[in-house]
Amino acid sequence: MTLQTSAIEPSVPRALIGVVVDNALVLALVTVFAIFSFATPTFLTIANLQSILVNNFTLLAIAAIAMTSAVSVGGIDLSVGTAIDFASFAFVSLVLAGQPVAIAALAGLGAGAAVGAFNAVLISGIGISPFLATLGTLFIGRSIQQLLTNGGNPVYLPPSGIPETFRFLGRGAIGGIPVPLIITAIIIVAATVILTRARFGRVALAIGIQPSVVRYSGIAARIHVAMAFILAGLIAAVAGLILSATVTVYIPSSGSAFLLNAIGATFIGTTLSRLGRPNIPGTVLGVLLLGIVANGLLLTGLNFYWQQVGTGLLIFAVLALSFITRRKASA
Amino acid sequence: MSVDIQLAPVIHFEPGLSTSKPSRGGNLAAGALRAGSLVAFVTILLVFSLTAPYFLSVGNIGNVLGQSAISGVLAIGLTIVLIAGGSNVVTGGIDLSLAANMGLSAAVYATAAQLGYGDATAVAGALLTGLLIGAINAIAVVGAGIVPLLATLAVMNIVAGLELVLTQNTVIPASTPLLTDLSSSGPLGIPALAYVLLVFTLIAAAIVQHTPAGLRLYAVGEFPDAARAAGLPVRRLVAGAFMASGFCGGVAGVLSVSNLSGSTTGSGEMLLPVVVTALLGSVFSRRLVPTVIGTLLSTLFVGFLVNGFQLLNISSVLVSGVQGLLILLVVSATTLLRRQEA
Repeated sequence: MTLQTSAIEPSVPRALIGVVVDNALVLALVTVFAIFSFATPTFLTIANLQSILVNNFTLLAIAAIAMTSAVSVGGIDLSVGTAIDFASFAFVSLVLAGQPVAIAALAGLGAGAAVGAFNAVLISGIGISPFLATLGTLFIGRSIQQLLTNGGNPVYLPPSGIPETFRFLGRGAIGGIPVPLIITAIIIVAATVILTRARFGRVALAIGIQPSVVRYSGIAARIHVAMAFILAGLIAAVAGLILSATVTVYIPSSGSAFLLNAIGATFIGTTLSRLGRPNIPGTVLGVLLLGIVANGLLLTGLNFYWQQVGTGLLIFAVLALSFITRRKASA
Repeated sequence: MSVDIQLAPVIHFEPGLSTSKPSRGGNLAAGALRAGSLVAFVTILLVFSLTAPYFLSVGNIGNVLGQSAISGVLAIGLTIVLIAGGSNVVTGGIDLSLAANMGLSAAVYATAAQLGYGDATAVAGALLTGLLIGAINAIAVVGAGIVPLLATLAVMNIVAGLELVLTQNTVIPASTPLLTDLSSSGPLGIPALAYVLLVFTLIAAAIVQHTPAGLRLYAVGEFPDAARAAGLPVRRLVAGAFMASGFCGGVAGVLSVSNLSGSTTGSGEMLLPVVVTALLGSVFSRRLVPTVIGTLLSTLFVGFLVNGFQLLNISSVLVSGVQGLLILLVVSATTLLRRQEA
């Protein structure tokens, strides 16, 4: 009965559902934004919006873009936090040892890329599934960090010994725009170009969708998968550099804090995008959604513990609504 | 029900029939790996028992069993979800809310006990909490159609937040007759928790491995389309798996209160080790699939490893590294063997 009626006059509601599904993420973002703008007087101020971008957005956005690189080839990277930590450790230790900031930063990037390369060997070389390979890396990385720090002692930079460039990376600004935000913007643009315009990105996405077709086309899928994981480690390393430059300390295994939110943002961006594929704009919107919810709930003055419940509930609601409408649209 | 027979060519899940004519190479490889992992298990036990004289004593083995009880129960819960959800970790079965579930159930139990409720009420409260969380996961995955990884991630956040709200991030001490019993020693001087783990495993194994419902879980997980075509209630089975996992979280919650004489924060730390244990478990099964007994073996494997390290005074810092290496070694071996067979 209902099936028949919807078959005869489906156009209006169906078109509407289509629009909602295509722009689910943007709609969710606008709704959450509007709610907090009305609910709290301080949310919609320049200072607060800037605080969202600097405090709730930059690091997670970079970590989530690293995750997106791994997800684009159909994998997942549970060791993004490990790459962040290794980069942070190398950076802080070398600066502490009196090395120039530039060299220390390069070493940090190298350390992150090394974590990615280790994953690449496991995944492309041996053929272990990405989830298990990076889970192993996560555990081994945790042990290595504890060994390096005598059981987990933080590495502090003494306030007097912090070079100016180091401080600039974390807390500086160019033309009033914070440096971490500029770096994040550069990474967003670069990653978008690589994933959508460069040959590598298109092959990577194809591997994620249908690996056998890529192989039959004579493309070396394994090399592209390996590159995607090394890229993930390298990008995560940037987050490690900014993190340590902001807090001027390396704390073992602190990067894991980003893991679940990075997965959440990436998969929110993937599942709520029009084609259901990993994409950088989707990931960035996902990070923004998480950031706005975290910041908005903070401003409502809600008990800190209730904020976590609220974040979970909101994300749950967004996911449920989008999956249900999607199912309706495809039914 | 001829359902199971129809599926037999696709997957050989009859636990009693060892060889229903699978490919020779595959069986050999799987057999080699299974034997290899058991040999590794026994070798480690031998090395530890030679180097640490106390290691193989009944008391120590009982201790290891008792200390593994909580992670074992959680890993069994996750195993059931892995069975019903299939092996694809991103779109397949996973329950990230398990550790948080344990934390909230423990908090509910401890709070109820402190408010003066009896053991029966407090236990019922904890188990209901676990079941309710499982039900929410089930509705999210089966009803709303959210990918398990995302659905349980969101539920994990909600549950962890509720635990904080309930406990205000403090330890809630609790002492009840049940807790005293659970933390005491049973026959042979072995901790009661060890017996709890063994009995729990046996019941779970009986249900999952030897009932039609349990076998259908495998069918649903390995080939959902075929299971649906064969007329299995796929949605109800998957929902049931999440409920079972939630129930395990509730049980682990009660056990953790007895272990720590109260509910404590930081249960989220258990999540990844439990995931590793459950995934490693499939190595200890004949066809390299998740099984309850396999998960018990892998729980004990990790438990003995940690315990041996402690007895030998090897830094506990290495434990997570060894766990990581183990999982990589095991999985590399599996993949390389499978590649040879192909």
